[in-house]
Amino acid sequence: MGVKVVPRHGASLKDKLYLPAIAGGMKTTFKHFIKNLKDTSNLRTVQYPEVQPTDITDRYRGVHRLTKREDDSEKCVACYMCATACPAECIAIEAQERTDGQDEKRPKAFSIDLLECVYCGYCVEACPCDAIRMDTGIFSLTGKTREEFVLNKEQLMANERSKDFSDD
Amino acid sequence: MNSASIIVVIVNILLAVVLAVGTTPIMVWWERRVAGFIQDRTGPNRCNVGGFRLGGLIQSFADMLKLIFKEDFTPGHVKYKFFYTIAPAIVFFCSFLTFAVIPYADTLVIDGFSYTMQAIPTQLGIMWFLAYAGLSVYGIILGGYASENKYGLLGAVRASAQVISYEAAMGLSVISMLVTYGTIHLSDMVAFQGQLIFGFIPAWGIIIQPLAGIIFITTAFAEANRAPFDIAEGESEIVAGYHTEYSAMRFGLFQVGEYAAMSASSAIIVTLFFGGYQIPWLDTTTLQSNIYIVIGVIAVLLIAMTYCLTKWMKKNNTWDNPDDPRAKETKILTKVFWIMTAIVCTILVSFIVTGLGTNGVNIATATIQIGTFLIKFFMMSLVFIWIRWTLLRFRYDQLQMLGWKVLLPLAILNIFITATFVVVTGS
Repeated sequence: MGVKVVPRHGASLKDKLYLPAIAGGMKTTFKHFIKNLKDTSNLRTVQYPEVQPTDITDRYRGVHRLTKREDDSEKCVACYMCATACPAECIAIEAQERTDGQDEKRPKAFSIDLLECVYCGYCVEACPCDAIRMDTGIFSLTGKTREEFVLNKEQLMANERSKDFSDD
Repeated sequence: MNSASIIVVIVNILLAVVLAVGTTPIMVWWERRVAGFIQDRTGPNRCNVGGFRLGGLIQSFADMLKLIFKEDFTPGHVKYKFFYTIAPAIVFFCSFLTFAVIPYADTLVIDGFSYTMQAIPTQLGIMWFLAYAGLSVYGIILGGYASENKYGLLGAVRASAQVISYEAAMGLSVISMLVTYGTIHLSDMVAFQGQLIFGFIPAWGIIIQPLAGIIFITTAFAEANRAPFDIAEGESEIVAGYHTEYSAMRFGLFQVGEYAAMSASSAIIVTLFFGGYQIPWLDTTTLQSNIYIVIGVIAVLLIAMTYCLTKWMKKNNTWDNPDDPRAKETKILTKVFWIMTAIVCTILVSFIVTGLGTNGVNIATATIQIGTFLIKFFMMSLVFIWIRWTLLRFRYDQLQMLGWKVLLPLAILNIFITATFVVVTGS
């Protein structure tokens, strides 16, 4: 390996004058200004609520959903793995015996407090039954009270995989 | 005192007030939109009154109202409440008074009486500017000191370090201009700049004295506490510097003071170096003798400008949802602008058709000169904003190096050259 000499800037008269560099910078900013002033569609900003983002990838971790079996009952077997894995302790599960022969246990109640959730995706990783997923693509959830952010089992099951995502 | 003189005085004072204070919302609006466009963002464009956004100008008024209606809060730990209260007032007052000596137009003659077109018809000129511009820094120092806050104190210390860095160079660059113009009265300076060098180059200060011009403009940025010399504020290093502990309209006064200082600096730069109210190749007497041609040209320009503006609005001032009142803004504004243009053009054409008396010609000339001054003034303010969003902040030792080791020797050299030239040529 030879020694690479990095040239030091700032010693020449042109650098010491500052003004040529300042003029160069002003030229750059002026170009941007004129380009955007002439045609505002050049701007990078998305006019958000009216225009929704289109660059949300399939791996984006949005609001959770509980997946369903063919008969639209929940896949979840109330094993508490997700609640155990959760670093924010935002998942609350109440188990119940399942009597329809599909499995032994089902969640009587399953709620996620999205104000506490950090959207880390550990619950999805922990689930042995692929019962919880974060592929709804919902990146913005609003509410007027704290209670509205605690999603119960029905709400979680009502969420579907985002239509923008490819089929899995 | 007849009614004409009262009106002239009121117009002059109104101009000073409007340019110093009234332009603040416009400057804030420009600042945001220009910054947005430079950084490929939009800037404020949603706030509206009944669908009228005026390109985001409404946002400035909303912010102003917010500042006025916020609680006027004094932190409990502030010991010197008097200093704390008076500091923003000093900044605001000094920046505001700087405007008093800017000449907006050549001496206006109505019925044989001549009026100096300044808010305060004083002969002090540039001395007044230097005095009040220098004084406004004390408000900043006092505010930072009285806040009893370490960030505030750091801001105040930086402001003091800054003021000793640039003031000397600024004063000396002004001296070379004084030697060139041979007067301290700003109106005489502008009158001097109406001449032509070799018969075709306008004798603007920046052309006669480019070095002094660059030094003065650089120090004017420091004087107005604008980037790249906003080290007293330094929001990325010392929170908000001297106004960390200020809120509501006290902060608002600092803000208005900052923009008033920027406006005043723009005005004084235009007056000293860019010919003030002079239109190149059209001095006051030429303007008065060709007034009808000039009025005609203005009418044509006005129509062209309205055409460009409405075309721009049709293309860019849109709203996706057609049910929103903001979607109708462009149509209404287009009509309003065309009606306004039609009215103004009718008045201008009627002037040409019926002719103006001596007083009318003088008043029209003054109005055109005020318009010229305003155009130059707003262009200079745009340069201030443009520089702010281009350059990085200097460290305060860098500013001192620049002030003492570069600008000061250059200013002294410039005085020497200018003085030699004036003594040798005798003009």
